[in-house]
Amino acid sequence: MPNFRARIARRLRALFRAEAVDHELNDEIRLHVDLEADELVRTEGLPPDEARRRALASFGGVERYREEHRDARGVRWIEQRGQDIRYAVRGLRNRPGFAIGVIVTLALGIGANAAMFSIVDRLLFRAPPFMHDASRSHRVVLTSTFRGRINQGTSAPYARFVDLTQNTHSFERTALFVENSLAVGVGADAREMQVGVVTSGFFGFFDATPVLGRYFTAAEDAPPRGSPVAVLSYGMWQTQYGGRRDVVGQQVQIGSTLYTIIGVAPKHFAGLWPETPPAAFVPASVFAAEQWAGLGQHGDWSKTYALYWADMIVERKPGVTVAQASADLTQAFVQSYRIDLAARPRQPPVDIAKPHAIAASILSERGPTESSLAKVATWIGGVALIVWLIACANVANLLLARALQRRREIAVRLALGVTRGRLAGQLLTESLILAVLGGVSGVLLAQWGGAVLRTEFLSKTSTASVVNDPRALIFAGAAALLAGLLTGLAPLAQTRRMNLNRDLKEGAREGTYQRSGLRSALLVVQGMLSVVLLVGAGLFVRSLRHVRAVPLGYQPEHVLLVERNMRGVALDSASSVALIRSLDAKAGTIPGVEHVSRQLTMPFWNTSTATGIRVRGVDGIDSVPGSFDMNAVSPDYFATMGTRIIAGRGIGIQDAAGAPPVMVVNESMAKALWPHASAIGQCVLGGGNPPVCTTVVGVSEDIKDNSLSDHAGYYILRPAEQVQPDHGGLFVRVQGDPDAMLEPVRKALQAVMPGASYVTVTPIRDIIGDQTQAWELGASMFVIFGALALLLAAIGLYSVIAFNVGQRMHEIGVRVALGAGRRDIVGHVVTGGLKLAAAGVILGVAVSLGGSHWIEPLLFQESSHDPVIFGVVAAVLLVVAALASFIPARRAARVDPMRALRAE
Amino acid sequence: MPNRADLLQGTLDLLVLKALLLGPLHGWAISKRLRALSSDVLNVGQGSLYPALYRLEDEGWISAEWGISAEGRRAKIYTITALGKKRLTAERSAWRLFSAAVDQVLHAS
Repeated sequence: MPNFRARIARRLRALFRAEAVDHELNDEIRLHVDLEADELVRTEGLPPDEARRRALASFGGVERYREEHRDARGVRWIEQRGQDIRYAVRGLRNRPGFAIGVIVTLALGIGANAAMFSIVDRLLFRAPPFMHDASRSHRVVLTSTFRGRINQGTSAPYARFVDLTQNTHSFERTALFVENSLAVGVGADAREMQVGVVTSGFFGFFDATPVLGRYFTAAEDAPPRGSPVAVLSYGMWQTQYGGRRDVVGQQVQIGSTLYTIIGVAPKHFAGLWPETPPAAFVPASVFAAEQWAGLGQHGDWSKTYALYWADMIVERKPGVTVAQASADLTQAFVQSYRIDLAARPRQPPVDIAKPHAIAASILSERGPTESSLAKVATWIGGVALIVWLIACANVANLLLARALQRRREIAVRLALGVTRGRLAGQLLTESLILAVLGGVSGVLLAQWGGAVLRTEFLSKTSTASVVNDPRALIFAGAAALLAGLLTGLAPLAQTRRMNLNRDLKEGAREGTYQRSGLRSALLVVQGMLSVVLLVGAGLFVRSLRHVRAVPLGYQPEHVLLVERNMRGVALDSASSVALIRSLDAKAGTIPGVEHVSRQLTMPFWNTSTATGIRVRGVDGIDSVPGSFDMNAVSPDYFATMGTRIIAGRGIGIQDAAGAPPVMVVNESMAKALWPHASAIGQCVLGGGNPPVCTTVVGVSEDIKDNSLSDHAGYYILRPAEQVQPDHGGLFVRVQGDPDAMLEPVRKALQAVMPGASYVTVTPIRDIIGDQTQAWELGASMFVIFGALALLLAAIGLYSVIAFNVGQRMHEIGVRVALGAGRRDIVGHVVTGGLKLAAAGVILGVAVSLGGSHWIEPLLFQESSHDPVIFGVVAAVLLVVAALASFIPARRAARVDPMRALRAE
Repeated sequence: MPNRADLLQGTLDLLVLKALLLGPLHGWAISKRLRALSSDVLNVGQGSLYPALYRLEDEGWISAEWGISAEGRRAKIYTITALGKKRLTAERSAWRLFSAAVDQVLHAS
């Protein structure tokens, strides 16, 4: 539409080159008048002056036509808005304290929301970039029942993936994927990076054409050992290879395999790991074969059902529902389970195991059961919304107070003929300007303060940021706009009720005090919302205290976990044993190290390591609910981890390779297996043929192994020298700050490692910390937002009461003149504030009790009706309200009655 | 003689377009021509002429260019566009329909 474009151009010219346009119009009018005058001279013989006067008169008021012309230009509206904006800015500049107060209040409300939105959005709503069709793509979740417990997981063996691909008909494509931390590069340049291990079909889930080369094919990913080809990420290509195009064909060492680079993925392509983008993508079969060999296993890894190592993703065909897809997957899973059962008959039969498959959300946090992190994030998103509401209520109140103060000014302007529509426009402009400024500050606040939140909720390597996130920015913009409209409504409503005559007559006199039901209501709502948030904060803090008080059965604060990564350095069993012994010995010599123990596994790794246990005299041990976990440790284990021995003894030096096999069991296991006898001296039959008798020599305290909230599992501690002496790493107890010891320990142990192999050192506090993360987050966020809400409510109450007192100076003056004491005045004002606060508390408690069943599942050993919390919260709010009203009350009491009365 | 206010809404547009159909003119000449064509019956309010011209230009029905008038002075000269001609045709039939209808009502017995 060229016409349309020309029109826009004209409008813009009229707006920005208004002078030139006016000038042209003047020229045109002048010509018109000149010609008219000339004609009058010619036809009627008037003298030139008279002709000119007549011509002007017949044209009419030039100014008026100019105005009309401007109207016709269609820029009038914009010009008026410009005036409104200038007017509003001038008004705000005259009251900087008020403006800053409003902007900060809104910034807190909007910032909190923008930050939480970007997190909740990433956790729960945003599909990974380039996803071909996220709505039809699903992660496959497999469940089965074992020992009365439903095991749910996404990890699957390759053979199951093949079964599920071949025996289903609902899917366009399927793939296996897993991300691993692997050493990339050689020598000093080698660094641990995230590597996407995927089957060849994985790339079909995305519309992401390689910027260079290609992705790998099914032939290159064919088991048992595919071709070692790798696709680099764009970031890796840029940072490590300088974006050179001849990178294709070069070789890169990843883990212990040398890969040939065949392509480069497009910018921002991160597979299914947007928070931890992989540096490269390699074929699943190459990686699996390497791992299989590393485990010292023989045979074809792709045929085994015993190795759970990758997740599965499927894309539904159009027209297939999610339920149909799940049913299809389930029948294929049952078939697959039967094949597995034929090879490994010790597993429970189909009717007990009840294999079941779910086509779940592509976003893992949504899972079939939402993760506690996602739940907490959603909750805090809701909390942020409440803070926003409180901020809006507060700002509305402030604007309302301001509108009341400006009543006379507004009345004058109405009297001067400013239309009410125009006036409304001006008031709205003002609140919108405040909202926009608040929104911008809020986004900056979210960017700055939100960085902390994001590292808590998302991965530490996450590149997420509010400023670079269009969705978060749109959200913040909408929140700001809505806040502007909502808060602008209150003063608008006020102008509608204005009585021009009265307001003009009363003038600036402050004597008349108008009670405003709306403003009191806003205060009560603020109080109510604050109570709800503070109750939430209290419940979470108590939960966190309970979580922290859970006896773990070990003291993790000063313990480091040492893991070995052999990276292709092949050691026979004897050399491996020797290496671990020398690591153990070396660790003992590091200054600051107190105790060292061998380890095979780590609490919360969720590895079930002890199977096939039998006990003489206990029939059907399989029916004992719960799983048996085993760790292989050295004599110093109990001192290293701080686990207490309750009965018998721990592992000793005498429990060497050739000595009689021994074990220490935990209290729960001892009670479950030998409820009426001492566990010490009992014989547990392990695997092997004939079964070997392992003697129980000690009972340790219970160990929290898989979950903080579950009852203790059954835990077996065996001497590492007797069980898999060639596997595992170390626990190291250090003095002082474990973080400060990370590097010394790593350096010292690295010196022992042969070839390209290396050790990693992690404080186990970090590993266990993941378990408490949701509660820590919930508690800290609720406390922060609750405090924010309380602060806003206090400011709101204070400003409203202060304003009311200011308005009532006259009345108070009269009271004082009539003999009211200071105490009476203070009491009177404070009582007014307390009444509002009390109403808020009552409503807030009611709402909290009503909504408590929603928050209950998030709490840890804490009742959502905890009377202590409700009592404390009510008291806090009332105290804050009393303080907020006391300050203005004291000012009121100091009023000199004569001055107040004379001010009339 | 009907005054400006008596011109029906939109009629001015129709008249201006018709005047320009006969050839490009500047603002004063348009008002002259309309007066002449209507035998002095229609005296277009001069003040409302210019906003109307701007509106018509905005719609793309006429185009304007600074040039030299017949009187030898610098003037903004308006020309009807192809779009304007189409518009005029449409307006004209609408006007005929409208005036016939008003006539019919007035002659009803």
